[in-house]
Amino acid sequence: MKRRTIVKLGAALLALGVSNSALVAGAQAQDAPTEITMLTLGNKPTNGRLEAMLEKLNERLVQQANVKLDLFYIEWADWQTQYNVQLLSGDDNVDLIATATDWLFGWENAEKGAFLPLSEEMLKTHAPKTWAQVDAKGHWDLTKFDGQIYFMPEDNYTQYTNHGFFYRGDWAKEAGFANGEISKLEDFTTYFDWIKKNKSDVYPWDASASAGKDAILAAYMQSHTDLQTLQQVTAGNFFPFQTSAKDPYKVASYLMEGDELLAAAQLTKKWNEIGVWREDALNYDGDTREEFYAGRSGADQHHTQTYVTQIVNNMNTKQPGSDPKFFWWGKENGNFFKDIFTHGAMAVSANSKHPEKALEVYDLIRNDKENYMLFNFGIEGTDYVLTADGKLGYPEGYDSSTDGLGTNYWWGRMDEFEPPKTSDAPNKAEIIAALDSQAKDYPYSTLIVSKSAIDPTLAAIGGVLSEYLPQLENGKFDDPAAAIAEMREKLKAVGWDEAVASIQSDMDKWAAARGLK
Amino acid sequence: MRSSEPAATPPAISSRSSAIRLDRSELVLRTISYTVVTLFALFCLLPFVMMLSASLSSEDEIRRTGFGLFPKDFTLTAYQFIFNAPRQIIGSYIVTITMTVTGTAIGLFTIAMTGYALHRKDFPFRNHISFFIYFTTLFSAGLAPTFLWIARDLGLRGSYLAVFLQLLMTPWLIILMKNFMRTVPYEVIESGKVDGAGDFRIFWQLCLPIMKPALATVGLFLALGYWNEWYLSSIYLGSTVEFKPLQYLLYNVINTANALRNSMAGANVSITDLPSNTLKMASAIVATGPILLLYPFVQKYFVSGITIGAVKG
Amino acid sequence: MTSDGPPPNEKSLWRQFSDSRVLLLMCLPATLFFLVFNYAPMPGAWIAFTNFNYRDGIFGSPFVGFKNFEFLIKSGQLWTLTRNTILYNLAFIVLGNLLQIAIAIMLNEIRSAFFKKISQAAMFLPFFISAVLVGVIAFNLLNYDTGAINALIKQTGGDPIKIYSMAGIWPLIIITVHLWQSTGYGSIVYFAAIMGIDRSLYEAAAIDGASAWQRIRHVTLPSLKPTFIILVLFSLGGIMHGNFGLFWNLVGNNAGLFQTTDIIETSVYRMVLSQNNFTTSTAVGLYQSLFGFALVMTANWIVRRINRDYALF
Repeated sequence: MKRRTIVKLGAALLALGVSNSALVAGAQAQDAPTEITMLTLGNKPTNGRLEAMLEKLNERLVQQANVKLDLFYIEWADWQTQYNVQLLSGDDNVDLIATATDWLFGWENAEKGAFLPLSEEMLKTHAPKTWAQVDAKGHWDLTKFDGQIYFMPEDNYTQYTNHGFFYRGDWAKEAGFANGEISKLEDFTTYFDWIKKNKSDVYPWDASASAGKDAILAAYMQSHTDLQTLQQVTAGNFFPFQTSAKDPYKVASYLMEGDELLAAAQLTKKWNEIGVWREDALNYDGDTREEFYAGRSGADQHHTQTYVTQIVNNMNTKQPGSDPKFFWWGKENGNFFKDIFTHGAMAVSANSKHPEKALEVYDLIRNDKENYMLFNFGIEGTDYVLTADGKLGYPEGYDSSTDGLGTNYWWGRMDEFEPPKTSDAPNKAEIIAALDSQAKDYPYSTLIVSKSAIDPTLAAIGGVLSEYLPQLENGKFDDPAAAIAEMREKLKAVGWDEAVASIQSDMDKWAAARGLK
Repeated sequence: MRSSEPAATPPAISSRSSAIRLDRSELVLRTISYTVVTLFALFCLLPFVMMLSASLSSEDEIRRTGFGLFPKDFTLTAYQFIFNAPRQIIGSYIVTITMTVTGTAIGLFTIAMTGYALHRKDFPFRNHISFFIYFTTLFSAGLAPTFLWIARDLGLRGSYLAVFLQLLMTPWLIILMKNFMRTVPYEVIESGKVDGAGDFRIFWQLCLPIMKPALATVGLFLALGYWNEWYLSSIYLGSTVEFKPLQYLLYNVINTANALRNSMAGANVSITDLPSNTLKMASAIVATGPILLLYPFVQKYFVSGITIGAVKG
Repeated sequence: MTSDGPPPNEKSLWRQFSDSRVLLLMCLPATLFFLVFNYAPMPGAWIAFTNFNYRDGIFGSPFVGFKNFEFLIKSGQLWTLTRNTILYNLAFIVLGNLLQIAIAIMLNEIRSAFFKKISQAAMFLPFFISAVLVGVIAFNLLNYDTGAINALIKQTGGDPIKIYSMAGIWPLIIITVHLWQSTGYGSIVYFAAIMGIDRSLYEAAAIDGASAWQRIRHVTLPSLKPTFIILVLFSLGGIMHGNFGLFWNLVGNNAGLFQTTDIIETSVYRMVLSQNNFTTSTAVGLYQSLFGFALVMTANWIVRRINRDYALF
């Protein structure tokens, strides 16, 4: 490796700008297994368990398709930059690339050409099981950009990542809520107030800077309107656009119209005055979840998946009797969505030398139960055990903080292979059923907003929002009404209407093409 | 930077102090100097003490009451955690030390050579080359084009060379060196010429020995540049190498939690074991501590080098 | 230039080359270095005018004119941000250099070698503390609920102050933190320059009966002038580039402070965060480079008119 780079550097010095890809000629032995590298997210574990698992898995993969799998990690520090830089480098050592359309730049990179377009032919031949399963659900459409399939979606895995408050049933009961159930967002005022008065040394909700960018404002909007946020369009850190369920093809926004934003800001102002969070919550960056576990915070804000896999289990161990509960945004009126099917997905690198083999590996991991168990949970007996009632648990002396397998496979999990876990919340099924009964399907999965035309405007909008929303969220304006009026004026000035018009025209075209309007 | 004539130091200092009369103004100046330097040094030390005490406190106390000057609920847990698996940190130390030592040596030699040539008034191209070098501080291609060129075209992605080479010199250090050359009297060069010495020999045999203050300063800056580097490592190395340079390793430890919490991934990914406050602080201490212990030794050569050079000049 | 230009000139150019070939050779490594790592990627800045994609590369991607710059203008903040960035940098440059000079002079007055070493090492410490940790430490000092300063105020019976809501004092805090972090490091250059001053000048001053103040005013300060000018001119090159890490980690998302603390880097970061777009970041860099370039050329031109020797080129 090093030698090669030195040679390359020398060549470059002599002939600046001359492509030297000719130097990378390499011959591969015919029968040696093809090596496929999968890019995933996470900090590479150093406990040796990953390597042990890969050795076992590769024995099987060599037999099944004469391939070997290795993992390449994009580590958490600066992961957004790291991910894009890795793709920008055009590295041909990576074959499979983990992606997602809502948080991992899936569409952007498809558009920029980092991913290989996948033909039906290729998929049918080299990933037949995946093809059949996704096809049966009619989900390939969700992965198309300009009519081409760009990735394989994690469309057969049930999870909810809708947000809400985790809170303590025991305290809620004492605060006067029957069964400790809080069923309205505004009722948290009572809960927080009670904590403030009765629990010294506890923040009613120890909110941190990152948790609080606009969570409550959006929550209030969800609970009090039928607005549905367009997940395709971000401005800076925010999702500014919605449609109304009543008028689903017209772009709207609670940030610009209506009184809900003001009402929400008045609620957060009240909370700020009560002292729900730290005075300096906007700069506080502590580990608020640990505070909740330690009984020093009355609430924490995150999503369902976190609640059922971690919160209940941890609270029951660390705060016995705390009766951890979950209130999700939009619970009052059922205004929230199921996860989109491209919340996790797998693409093939445009630079991969063995795209067919890459597809084969993916197909084998996703659809072969034994491979799946190995790759996701490790080796039975050392990494996990199956209890008598078929639940997945951990062996004696296992410490999840140091012994994790860390494959972080969020790019093609399958419901039928996922065993229930001993750490799951006992009421998991109940919660999921409750969500299932309310949740709506996201109607705009196939809508593609051509952002390049309005990127500058969106950036400017993001700039304005970043000046106002965090302060509104934390109740820091003395006169929220004036602040909102000022914000709306500035938004107009940076081209809000233009952005709306452009998104609207994409929406119209999309709706017309599908005969929806 | 080793002093060739250590004996020269003490007399130089004593002759200088006796030459200046200790009148009232000297006394006042000295009093002010001691006071201000002491206060400023304490001001600089304070946050470090806070970090140290935080690294020795229990996580629980830190969360509850924040940092203080003294450890709260003293514990070595964070350090035990780091040294339970020392492989990573030792590897990083080796990488960083190797880069620092070789980089400083090569860089210093090149910079001194260039600075010398650019200082020579009889070198007709000195202004052109100076500008050629200086211009790069005014105008740079920017992150993406530079990355594409170095990572893609030169093929240096994932190679320590990408980091090592880019830190070898900076325009600032070359101009600084050139500026320091003013302290070399022109007669030195003249006398070399009269003796028939070539330009390189004048530089190597006559100028280098009396340029010790400059070499010490520039060398120190180069070394610190290598030691503190994390940004290039994060772009060009990322997770492609087993052993990250020390400061990048530290950066990763410190930023993992923040990166997750401040981004949209935090909304999608459930992570259980983020580094705690105490662990972050302990890592910072472990990554910084050794160079601090080393510093007084380096400084000894550094200060004496400067003094000797100055006396001779 | 013209066809009938005098041939002797050409001949002498060749002579110049051959006469100074050794000096040219000595500059070669540095010249090559900047050619490869700085000049070669420069044409790639074209990316700022394209809608870049991986398939077509920098020069094949569709040309979009100034579209990538548009958001800067659209935001209506360009002037405020540019002004803030420049003002902060000016404060950093002016106050930084003054403090560095003061510290270097005072260090030089300290006779105890041990004390000198210890205090200098202490002043170096902040340089090793990464921006994230600086932010953490600042929060632990300044916050309302658990901050050390407010704890002290409460202990003495006062009312705690909401420092994170007082936009007015943040320039002071940011400048203080910057000085805290950079003074020890920056004073090295001045310290070395003082060491390089010809001792006979001091002796002459002493014989004339100069007081300590006169000695500093008439000997030390004038000798530091060239170094000072070079340092200032050099910092001017970066006057459009803000220290993102410092500002971001101290202020973050606290919009209440933006009116006094927002600089180009932090604002752009908030605006294009979700796009993770290489073209816009290059566009912003280009704007900063060109603006800074014009500024430095002007400053250098002025210095050159006053004293050619002090000019950078």
